[in-house]
This record gives sequence, C-alpha cells and structure tokens, in this order.
Amino acid sequence: MHKDPSYYIQGVLDNNRLMLARTITLVESTLSTHQEIAKHVINELLPYTGKAVRLGITGVPGAGKSTFIESFGTMLTRLGHRVAVLAIDPSSTRSGGSILGDKTRMEKLAVNDMAFIRPSPSSGSLGGVARKTRESMLVCEAAGFDVIIVETVGVGQSETTVASMVDFFLVLQISGAGDELQGIKKGVLEVADAIIVNKADGDNVNRAKLAKRQYETALHLVTPSSPNWEVPVMTCSALENKGLTEVWETITTHKQIMTSSGELDKKRQDQSMSWMWFLVNEGLERWFYRHPEIQKLLPGIKHDVEIGKVAPTRAADELVSILGKDLLL
Amino acid sequence: MANSPEYQKWFEMASKQMKGKTPDDIAWKSPEGIVIKPLYEANDIEGLPSVGTFPGMAPYTRGPMATMYAGRPWTIRQYAGFSTAKASNEFYRKNLAAGQKGLSVAFSLSTHRGYDSDNPRVSGDIGKAGVAIDSIEDMKILFDGIPLDKMSVSMTMNGAVIPILAMWIAAAEEQGVKQEQLEGTIQNDILKEYLTRNTYIYPPEPSMRIVSDIMAYASKNMPKYNTISISGYHIMEAGADSVLQCAFTLADGVEYVRAAIRSGMDVDTFAPRLSFFFGVGMNFFMEIAMLRAARFLWHKLLQQFNPKNPKSLMLRTHCQTSGWSLTEQDPYNNVIRTTIEAMSAVLGGTQSLHTNAFDEAVCLPTELSARIARNTQIIIQEESQICKVADPLGGSYYVEYLTAQIIEEAEKIINEIEEIGGMAKAIESGMPKMRIEESAARRQARIDQGKDVIVGVNKYRLADEKMDFDILEVPDSVRLEQIDRINQTKKARDTAKCQACLEALTKAAAGDGNLLEVAIAAAKARATVGEISDAMEKVFGRYVATTQCVSGAYSSEYSEAGSDAAQVIEALRKRTADFMANQGRRPRILVTKMGQDGHDRGIKVVASSYADLGFDVDISPMFQTPEEAAKMAIENDVHIVGASSLAAGHKTLVPELIQKLKEKGAGEILVVAGGVIPPNDYSFLYDVGCKGIFGPGTPITESAGKVMDMLEAQYCK
Repeated sequence: MHKDPSYYIQGVLDNNRLMLARTITLVESTLSTHQEIAKHVINELLPYTGKAVRLGITGVPGAGKSTFIESFGTMLTRLGHRVAVLAIDPSSTRSGGSILGDKTRMEKLAVNDMAFIRPSPSSGSLGGVARKTRESMLVCEAAGFDVIIVETVGVGQSETTVASMVDFFLVLQISGAGDELQGIKKGVLEVADAIIVNKADGDNVNRAKLAKRQYETALHLVTPSSPNWEVPVMTCSALENKGLTEVWETITTHKQIMTSSGELDKKRQDQSMSWMWFLVNEGLERWFYRHPEIQKLLPGIKHDVEIGKVAPTRAADELVSILGKDLLL
Repeated sequence: MANSPEYQKWFEMASKQMKGKTPDDIAWKSPEGIVIKPLYEANDIEGLPSVGTFPGMAPYTRGPMATMYAGRPWTIRQYAGFSTAKASNEFYRKNLAAGQKGLSVAFSLSTHRGYDSDNPRVSGDIGKAGVAIDSIEDMKILFDGIPLDKMSVSMTMNGAVIPILAMWIAAAEEQGVKQEQLEGTIQNDILKEYLTRNTYIYPPEPSMRIVSDIMAYASKNMPKYNTISISGYHIMEAGADSVLQCAFTLADGVEYVRAAIRSGMDVDTFAPRLSFFFGVGMNFFMEIAMLRAARFLWHKLLQQFNPKNPKSLMLRTHCQTSGWSLTEQDPYNNVIRTTIEAMSAVLGGTQSLHTNAFDEAVCLPTELSARIARNTQIIIQEESQICKVADPLGGSYYVEYLTAQIIEEAEKIINEIEEIGGMAKAIESGMPKMRIEESAARRQARIDQGKDVIVGVNKYRLADEKMDFDILEVPDSVRLEQIDRINQTKKARDTAKCQACLEALTKAAAGDGNLLEVAIAAAKARATVGEISDAMEKVFGRYVATTQCVSGAYSSEYSEAGSDAAQVIEALRKRTADFMANQGRRPRILVTKMGQDGHDRGIKVVASSYADLGFDVDISPMFQTPEEAAKMAIENDVHIVGASSLAAGHKTLVPELIQKLKEKGAGEILVVAGGVIPPNDYSFLYDVGCKGIFGPGTPITESAGKVMDMLEAQYCK
C-alpha cells in the first residue's frame, strides 16, 4: 500500500478508476497505519464533496435491489449522471469470508463507463460498515460521481446506519401473498423517504397495487420525519423498466423541497455531527480497551461481577475512573 | 414391512462375522440421503406400486417397449461437432461408416448464444466446443452427402433454436427432402438453461413461447420429429444428485406440457413426441433406479392432463455418461468409468446413448478416443449378450427398493415445486438452483476429503503424470474462415428480400405469428443466425442471469468429518485471518468465466468454498470479455483473478485478460486459471504470465493453499 496521501488524492481527483478503487481499499483497511493515511486523504478530498445526491437503498433479500439498481442506474447514466454504487454484502460470521455477487445482477451497469460499482464485505461490525461506506461515498463524490447509491441488505440494523448517511432513503419491497407488512419493520418505515413496491410486472401487477395500499395505510401510523414531505408509496418494475422515471422525479422533488426549506443542509449537519460523536465514542472505546491498566484489571473485575462479589455499577465506576486518573496526569 | 425371520438369522450371522459390528453399522447414506443397507430381501419390496409390472405396459417402470433390447437394441447416438461445418461433416461421415446410427450435433457456443462468428464478443469461442453455424450455407455443408430423409438428426440447441431449426429445415428442403420426412430431435429445453447451462438468449417468458411455437409447428408439419428433449443431464453435471435430477427434469417436463396446452394444443398431439435426456453417473444401481423411477413418475404426472393415447404417458429417453466423472489425471481410467455408466444406462432401459470419450476432460474427442467411446456401446450390444432379456434387473430386491425410494423422494420435491406454482415459478424463486449448488458443494467437499473416491485423483494418484495421447485443437483460422463465408453469403443474397423477412420476424415476435414458420423464410433468404436472433431480441430483450451462491455447504461436509480434514479447513481459515491482520483486509479473489461457455458449476463451487475458507469472493457476470473482467478486477481491487475455462477458450481469453490488466496499470493483480486445460498448454499459459493452473479434480483446499502461498509471497513480507 502506497504511503503518500497525495498519490491517492491526485488519482481520485483525476477520476482514475484504478486509484479510486485503491483509495476505497485504503479507507476500508483495518490497519491503523492505513487509517492514518486515509484520514489525510479524506480531509484533502472533503472540499470536493457534498454536491452529489446521496441515495440509500434497502430491501429484504429477493426484493430485487440489484435488478432495480441495474435498471435505475442505467437510466440515470442515460440522463447524463455519473453513478457510483456502494454495495454492502454480509460477511460470514463463521469464516469471515463473503460472496460479493452484486455485479452479476448489474451486468450492464458494471461495464458502463459512467458508472462505478464497488461491493464491500460488511466484515461483521456495524461501525465498520458505517465508517467504510461513509468515507467511500466521499471518495466517489470527489472523483466526480453525482449520484451515490448505497445498497444494503435489509436485515439487522444496517438500514438505520445507512439512512444516517444519505439524503434520501428508499425502501424496496415486493408483494407477497397478503403478509406484506410482516416483512417490514417499524424502524424502517420511520427512516424511509419512499417505499417502492418492485416487481409490479406480469401477473404480479394487482398484488403490487394491493401491497401499495397496505403500505400507505401503515405509513399513516408513523410520524413523518419532515412536515414538508409525505412518504410516497410507488410501484415499479425494474425488469420492464416501468416506474423508474417516476422514482427519480420523486427523489429530485424531495431534494428541491428539502433544499429550499433548509432541511437538507440541516440533515447533513446533523449527520456530520452524529458522525463526529460516533467517532468520538469509537475513539474513547478504543482508548479504553487499549489502556494497559484496564487490560490488566479487566479480567479480575469481570470475574468479580460474574460471581456477584462486586456490583456492575461499582465495577463500571472503577474502570472509568482509571481513564480519569490518566487525564489528571 | 418388517424383516423376515430368515433376515434376523442372517443379521446375527453377519454380526458374528463382523466381530462386534452389525449390518446396521455399515449402512451407507447416499448423497441423495437414502440409507443403503448391506442386504435386501423380498419383504423390502412387498406391496410397492412400482413392482410387479411389465415392460411396454403402464406404468412403464420396466421400460417403454414390450421386448426392449431383445427386440431392438438402443440407438448409438454420439454427440459430436467442432470447428467448421466441413470438418464436422467429414467426421460424421466417417462415424456413420463405422457403425453409428444417428447423428447428434454439437454447436459452437457462439452459435448457441445467437452470435455470428464475426461478433467481437465471441472471438474466443468459434468452433471450439462445437460446430459454428452462421447461415444456411454452413448448414448445407454440415449435412452434405448425408440424406436427411433417412438420417435421424439430434441437435443440442436451446438458445438459438429458431434460427438453427429453421436453417436445418430449409437446408433439407434445398436437398429435396420434405418437412414431413424429417426425423430427429431438437433439445429445445430452455428451462434447464436458466438452471444450469446458461445458453439462453431471451427471458423465460418469450423463450417458453418459442418452445410452444416449435411444438405447434412440428405437430402440423413434421410428425416424426421430437420437438423437445427434456434434459436432466446438465442438471446432474451441475452437481445434482439422482433424486434432484429426476425431480427437476420431470417438473420441467410438466411445465412444457402446460405451456403447450395453454397455447391451445391437445395433449395427445405433442406428448408422444416429448423425449427426455438423462445423465448417468458412477453410482451404478442408483442411476438404474433413477431411470426406472422417472418412467413411473412421468406416467403418474401426466394423468392430470387426461391423455387418451397411452404413448402420451410413456417416458422415452436418451442418456449420456457423465462428463463430471471424467478425470484429467490418468485419463485411460475414463474408458472404464464410461463403460460402467453405459451399463447403468442400458440396465436402466435407455432408448439411445452417448458414451463420452476418455479425453473429454482435457479436450475435444479425437478420432481414436471417439472410436473407443463408440465401440464401448457396440461391445455391450454385440458381445456381452446383455440385450437378450428385457429389464433383467426387474424384481431385484435392491433395485426395486431403490426405485421406490427415488420415486418417493423425487415426488416430494415435485410437490414442493407444484406448491410454488410450477417449475417456471420455482426457477424464478431460485429454489432449484440453490439445491443443485448445495449438492455440488457437498460433493466437492466429499471428493476433497477422499470420502468419495476418484481413482487417480484423490487415491492411487500417479507420481508422474504424462500425457501420451494426441490433442485435438481447433485453430483460430476457423474464425476467419467463418467470417469469410458470412461476407460471401451477405454479398450474394437479395438484401431487400432478406431485410423484409427479418422485419416480418420482428413483427411476428411482437404479435402472434409462428416464429419458426417466419424464420424458415428468413433462413432461405440467407439471413444469419445473428440477424435472426437480433430480429427477435428487438422485441424480447436479452436475458441477464441472476447469480446466487450458497454458503456454508462446503465446510459443513468437513465438520461432519471432524478429523484431519476439518483441521485443513481451520488451517486455511487461520491463514486468511492472518492475511487480514497483516494487510488490513481479507484476501480478495474475483472468479470469472469469460467467453460464451455457460457451465458455471465450477466457479460456483469455488466461490462458495473460498468464502467458507475466509476469502472475500467477487463473482463476475456470465459471458464476460477479458476487458470487462479486467475492469471488474480493478474496480473491486482484488488481489487475484481466477479464470475458469471449460471450452477451449483459455489460449485466447487468459492472455488477453493478463494483457488488459497490465494496460490498465494493474499488473500486480495475479491471474490463475482453472477448468479443462490440456497439460500441453500449461507452459504456454505460464509464459504469458498465468501464475497457477488448477485442472479438473484439484481439491479446493489444495488450490486455496496455493493461492495463499502466492498472496503471502507477494504481500506479507
């Protein structure tokens, strides 16, 4: 791995694909030496970011996310947009390995010169996903991509993590046999900016329409996140390229409304702030666990708590005060 | 049914002889999950509905014909084709002179996918795995001197069925043969293409319409022609066990019957012309039982359509010995494997048979290897006296028991598919594909651990492997020759007339004309395969596969072992974890299949197993060009690319990939190759910069270990 940050910075700004790819590898790396370089790179690239539409897409497995992105992304490139797709694939908890197969379902977009697709393994940790993806997004923006799509599998907490870094969060659903609502969590409804019922094609059209009505009803039970935006439920067929223009129109309308109301700026400020706090917490945590005295005392204290000799509150006080002593020095 | 008192006596005696073990202890669980006891008796088969019937009579468990081979032996039908139409024609004529009865044409992958030979996407594929056909002119050369009114011709074609069948019919007419005289079979089984072989062109719905159009046209104009060959072979080759092969093939069949009925046909007009195609592997008795079970089940399944003609309920099948069971190592062993499999197909009651040539794990058959393959069947027919009795295994306790077991297990799966809404819907859901891939990954794990023995590969391996036979290689000049003829054909034809025919075809695709009928006119007007395919693609679009991949299946076979084998897995996992600690990320590999070869079992198994070993694995879309694969390797920033080649494209595609990576400044990305690569080509590939070659039968753990050696050497200092 190259040590000089300017090697990456220049490559990204030149929109060199090879360098863009390597910079993402750099920001994703778990080595602290790499992270040091990455910090410099991100800092230098920051002035070139912020202008893109940041789009999050989630959906249960089988909702047709990849097919949707293939058709939707291709349509956007035809409109002259440069589209970057960051796809997060789950890593196996047992082996740590992963299968990154998104591009097999984005065949056309994968070879489209206006698009860049980068699948990344989730590597288990939620913080890992957030850190990598947020920074990769900035790298892509600096390379001149004006639509960034972050794709995540709709399981676990990853969708709220992704929602906290994008401007527009799109939840993809499919119609089933009447049990649609079981497939969607309340937490997801709360962060959604639009719900798209995909696969409205063939003999599925009527079921998709029914599902649309059910989601609309469900959304009435959720407090809207913005007074200026009513979350729409739409149907589309990524397979037959139907309804995709409408989805893009919704996203651009949303952007106009949010920009003129000042909510977009506010949202991004909030996101930056919560990102800062996330990193502060992460840094504190790292600091805590690396502290030699804590490392020494922790096993004993854990044991004492387990057998009930020491109360958890007191143990926690004791551990935190070790950090405190450090500060007084 | 409880065991008899005599069985109990035998059980005790056997236990005594085995000193402490009982026969129950040595029962074997087959890959299908069927428990096989060391002995069967009359009680095991009492009351089974599949037992006690007669050949030629419902439910046809014992065979569709009354006298079976005692009356007439099965048809020796060898699948062949390579290079140009002229070269294949010469090969066919020699084979016919040497005792072969029917013809079976293998087409170039470019042709399968509806591309003309001058299409840049297929530069590595022309004539490599079959004969390249671009227009009726090629088709006429292919059958030059072969009377199509007498010769039954089988064509393995599923993607470009419309142009190829149209050209064959038109070529026959120009030979002076009427359509109603034509005999033979077209594979035309598009459903399994979405499952395993991937040589489709259009999405499922228009593809099913093409199938129905062909059935409708032939039922009117070609009464002696089999319009579909419902194929389990490729399902087996993709890794399915016998129960899965049986179930998915029959479910495909039911789906075609429904499609034909929906398009307005009466079941008795086409059902008697449906034919099947099963693959036969090394599990000798299991394969026999599978064929018997398939006939029983087909008879049962077709009842729901109320046919009047008993022939509608009769399953007739072609069989082929397994390609997967062939090994590159110690390849003469393949002659024996093929013989055993051929016996299995024969004792199972097949109507025609293809026996593989021993060198097919390495290259296309040569004249010598093709002769041995053909003689394998001739010797069974004419020397062994096996043909004297119909269904000689009928009544065998073991075979009848196995037959009933497969019937039971396959029926469960068929019912599951019916609940999903039929095979087309099931394929959409991904269920069959996942089952097959899981079965494949498990099998690979059993082989890698030596649980499934393959002589010369994981046991009794030769210390020094030498290739002492000739290799048939298709020169790249074939492509230029084909392009020349396309140009000549295009120059000589009436352009306006050809254009009008193609427009009519596009119109028929959008409306409801019979596609085959319109395409025959286009073929006569000298339209090419590519042009005819494109004319329909305008309306239908081109299908893009969704690739799914199972995880955990490979290592779960290992954990069952618990022993040394599991330690190998653990050691590899530790290496990938150490690599991550050292490099800040896991070793990342792109597995890719370039060219038009759609057999993706190999890369799926590799992808799934490598992920189980702790790699991050990128899978490329099917049918990539080297340039596209290089782009993906760079954008995903992988450490290494594994290129799979099964169709002789390695000598053009692998060097091009390495070249493209270098051109784009990513020369440090390593390239390894796997699949069917003749050992004579190894040095060529090493010279162009390929870092490793993993031939058929290389255990995954071995290749993964070597990949880690390379990566550690390059990155972890």
